[in-house]
Amino acid sequence: MSVEKQPKLTGKDQWQVLKRLLSYTAPHKASITIALVLLIMTITGGIVGPLIIQRFIDNYLTPLNFPEREVTAIVLLYIGIQLFMVVVSYFQLMRFQDIALKIIQQMRIDVFSKVHGLGMRYFDKTPAGSIVSRVTNDTESIKDMFVSVIVTFLQAVFMLIGVYIALFSLDVKLALISLLLLPLFLAIVVIYRRYSTDFYQDLRERLSQLNAKIAESLSGMGMIQAFRQEQRLEAEFDEINEKHFRAGMRNIKFDGILLSPAIDLLYTGAIIFVLGYFGFISLDSPVEVGILYAFTTLIGRLFQPVQQVMQRLSIFQQAIVSASRVFKLMDDNDMEPEQQIVKNAEIGDGKIEFRNVSFSYDGKADVLKNISFTANAGETVALVGHTGSGKSSIINLLMRFYEYERGDIFIDGVSLKEYPQEELRQKTGLVLQDPFMFYGDIESNIRLHNKEMTPEEVRGAAEFVRANDFIEKLPGKFSHRVTERGSTFSSGQRQLVAFARTIATNPKILVLDEATANIDTETEVAIQASLEKMRKGRTTIAIAHRLSTIQDAELILVLHKGEIVERGTHQELLSQKGLYHMMYELQNSTIEDVI
Amino acid sequence: MKVLLQLSWFFKQRKKQYALGIAALVLVSILQLLPPKIIGIIVDDITLGRLTAPGLTKWLIILGIAGILMYFARFYWRVMIFGSAVLLSRTMREKLFNHFTRMSPSFYQKRRVGDLMAHATNDINALQQTAGMGILTLVDSISTGGFVILTMAITINWKLTLIALIPLPFMIFLTSYYGRLLRKRFRFAQEAFSNLNDKTQESITGIKVIKTFGQQKEDIEDFTNLSTDVVGKNMRVARIDALFDPTITGIFAVSYILSFYFGTKYIIAEDMSIGDMVAFSTYLGLLVWPMLAFGFLFNIVERGNASYSRITELLSIAPEITDLPGAIDKRPEGDLHFDIEEFKFPSDEALALHNVHFSLKQGETMGIVGRTGSGKTAILKLLLREFEGYKGSIVYGGNPINQYKQQRLRESIGYVPQDHFLFSTTIAENIAFTNPKIAKEKIYEASRLAQIHDDILGFSEGYETIVGERGVSLSGGQQQRVSIARALIMEPELLILDDSLSAVDAKTEEAILEALKQYRTGETTIITSHRLSAIQHAHKIIVMHEGTIAEAGTHEELLAMDGKYKEMYELQQLEVMVEQGGEV
Repeated sequence: MSVEKQPKLTGKDQWQVLKRLLSYTAPHKASITIALVLLIMTITGGIVGPLIIQRFIDNYLTPLNFPEREVTAIVLLYIGIQLFMVVVSYFQLMRFQDIALKIIQQMRIDVFSKVHGLGMRYFDKTPAGSIVSRVTNDTESIKDMFVSVIVTFLQAVFMLIGVYIALFSLDVKLALISLLLLPLFLAIVVIYRRYSTDFYQDLRERLSQLNAKIAESLSGMGMIQAFRQEQRLEAEFDEINEKHFRAGMRNIKFDGILLSPAIDLLYTGAIIFVLGYFGFISLDSPVEVGILYAFTTLIGRLFQPVQQVMQRLSIFQQAIVSASRVFKLMDDNDMEPEQQIVKNAEIGDGKIEFRNVSFSYDGKADVLKNISFTANAGETVALVGHTGSGKSSIINLLMRFYEYERGDIFIDGVSLKEYPQEELRQKTGLVLQDPFMFYGDIESNIRLHNKEMTPEEVRGAAEFVRANDFIEKLPGKFSHRVTERGSTFSSGQRQLVAFARTIATNPKILVLDEATANIDTETEVAIQASLEKMRKGRTTIAIAHRLSTIQDAELILVLHKGEIVERGTHQELLSQKGLYHMMYELQNSTIEDVI
Repeated sequence: MKVLLQLSWFFKQRKKQYALGIAALVLVSILQLLPPKIIGIIVDDITLGRLTAPGLTKWLIILGIAGILMYFARFYWRVMIFGSAVLLSRTMREKLFNHFTRMSPSFYQKRRVGDLMAHATNDINALQQTAGMGILTLVDSISTGGFVILTMAITINWKLTLIALIPLPFMIFLTSYYGRLLRKRFRFAQEAFSNLNDKTQESITGIKVIKTFGQQKEDIEDFTNLSTDVVGKNMRVARIDALFDPTITGIFAVSYILSFYFGTKYIIAEDMSIGDMVAFSTYLGLLVWPMLAFGFLFNIVERGNASYSRITELLSIAPEITDLPGAIDKRPEGDLHFDIEEFKFPSDEALALHNVHFSLKQGETMGIVGRTGSGKTAILKLLLREFEGYKGSIVYGGNPINQYKQQRLRESIGYVPQDHFLFSTTIAENIAFTNPKIAKEKIYEASRLAQIHDDILGFSEGYETIVGERGVSLSGGQQQRVSIARALIMEPELLILDDSLSAVDAKTEEAILEALKQYRTGETTIITSHRLSAIQHAHKIIVMHEGTIAEAGTHEELLAMDGKYKEMYELQQLEVMVEQGGEV
């Protein structure tokens, strides 16, 4: 639970964001029109009700004259309108919800799709948690705005218009005077907004700090206790807790001053005014008390929506901030490398050639310097070197995770950039160092989203890489659940599943990033055996951490600071007595020490 | 309502605030009665033509005063009652947090952080609601509801009042019922949302795999399906949520129709006036909130009950390991004698350790090897006194470890765990965890010993670099070395490295071990490791197998013994042979 900085937005920025948010309503024009009509009907019903009562009071009740037909008609009208309102308002509320949810769904899909189009550069610089936040939490707070703020706001606007129309129809002069309420409302809303935004923001941040502190302390409790820092942590927590409390109190006080108590006070003021107005007029000329009743009731209806709008300003503010973050992601142009498809190139034998490739992640320091090598069809090229020597960068370029500008990479003589994306993905298989497992079962982890793959093919792939040995022992076998990123499996087992997943697609080119983690001996034997099988008939580029696993490679490249410093077969390199030899010695001596 | 009784300790503690807050609330509900009454009086005066300017002015002034009084009273009860509720949440949160820090590791073994977090957030929130909204709805529904009904009945017409009230219980029942349904459906909606969240998290963490297999389109499809589910579940919530307003409107409309129908009869019978009728219908409007509040009350209290019992249950768990009366207030140092007949973890059936006996002289280094689950970690956990309930004794510095104050025992031990947990703060603060005020030089020194100093200087902010989610993510090896530095800085009497070198390369491992050897001359060190290279120089090595010591001795002695250790070594040698592929 991380605490994220809130971007500061100017008024103009906010307006831009809002405009862009509202543009999402465009595809729902028809639905929105219906919802608005329903809303207007609901509001009209709410206003007509008191007007009917006014008629009833003035025309029948005051003179105590009840012509049966007319009275029945007016009563039935009232009942009819109320009934109508009950039904219409339900559908109106539902309709708005439906629109809001659909808008948010679209927005979510858009963001998610955008994320998939982004290049690895973006994922390098952005923590996963914050991307997830953009897709889900931020859109959720935008949803709150669409669901509650916009509807409330529309309701308030239509209510104001409707009530004023009714007031004007009753008494033009008083209605004109009542217009004075509008600037008052506006003033309160503006003042409230100015301060509440900051106060509310502050409270929100304090709460997330508080929760982050609890979450972290719980995860690290073992350490806190082992290093007996309980009291210090308690003190630190108290301080955050205290600050959160103060922020909470400040919000209560502030809301108490300007929110409902103030609105209620204003309402009382308005009542005094209406009573005074009619009262003093009645001293000189007759007054219809029904109109007085209607005025007091209708004016009351003005206040509720204003208060609701105020209460929801903070949601609005939060939504704007969230939306600005979402849009920032949507506008990011760290896109995946684009393919410049010249002809429908197909990968045949899978001969790979790197020709004078230089590459830099940040545009400053080169991590690859003039790399050239050829992996002939069916051969294995092994990459060795320390962390940061450039091994992974070679794979990153070959996999088109990053765009390169200097030099070129060819497969079967055609530049990597000229193949269609699908062709590359289909014919190259990558096994990552830390195999990732998805939620689902073993089978779905092997087939991934490929629906055409038969269960037999899945089993065949597992058998081929000898993953079936451990899978068969699992309860449920291939339908054994995979949860929590496969943490119930050993890293060796995960590796085997990743092998199966790759081999199931039968790639022409195999790219391997060897696992460094501890793997138990039994699984290790299976891994080595299946690696050997997998490599047969495939061009393989392999990063090796243990030199022993790649001794039969046709070509070994020793990388150092982005350059190929030695190249040759295992035997050739050993006899060179260079860096490779040193690395080999070191690895062996570590083991010899044990002996 | 049980929870209100259970919270009485808090209400007592804040009795002044609650008393004043409730008084203000009651004052508001009385003053609220004035406007409708005055409207009614003025209406009557107008119809009867008996309104006078001074009379009107008098009523308006009264109304004005009432309005201002209400403003202040409304502000005041909010601060008193809602303020107290916020205080309750702060108090409970503090209690919970302090309780968490006292809980033994076995407590955390049984529970997930997420669940504990839920108590600290949702349950405390529910309590705050109970102490705030709960009290408000209780008092308001009784006082406002009561006063309004009484006023209607006494000052206007009790028969009409009874008639007008007939539909209202339905509203209480319905809104309360909706509330319950809403909560249930809301939970489903939350679940759907959290599925969506998990899915997103997974896609982004596994982005490389998805890209590699070119499955973006399929993944987006998957996401679309889940987000459709979110829409569906939310619509189910909306279907209930949208019922509130129409229900209130409908039921009150029935009430209005009844009042006007019978009211007219009473007016014709001259049992009441038109002004009474106007006042009556305004009073009826005032009943909306108390009726709603009554419905809410049940739901708030129901949630509060559940949350309070969950929290008290949590708070009632006693720490399993406490200081004995008269515990020794001295930092233990000296020789270590570990004699365990039997031990099993509270959650397990099988013995974790049996017949484990060894002694370690002050200043010696011991290595523990063995497979995962062989009992290595169990030995360390007992040494750290994370668990008790064993048969046998662990004597450190002349006394059993359970006779020391826990704090003092821990002062002696620098522990580097397997799962190197770092806090999301600066590297410097992580290393200086035991003493935030320690001199910078000491931090550098510890870092140098742990071979992490140069790495740290390589970060853009150096020692001020923030680690974790908000900052730089360190590699596994770097995290291990930072946690070694964190343990070294306290210059522990007993350093325990629990497989803490697994992610560092051979060269660095050697450098760290060498540094430890030079720097820690008089102190004791225990190292567990998968890699034999990490422990081969130890004064004593024990080989754990199925919870007991299979072999013990020095590296050479163990090799000569021709047993498990030799077997492990041979396995490693075999690996070398296999790796060399017979070319040698």
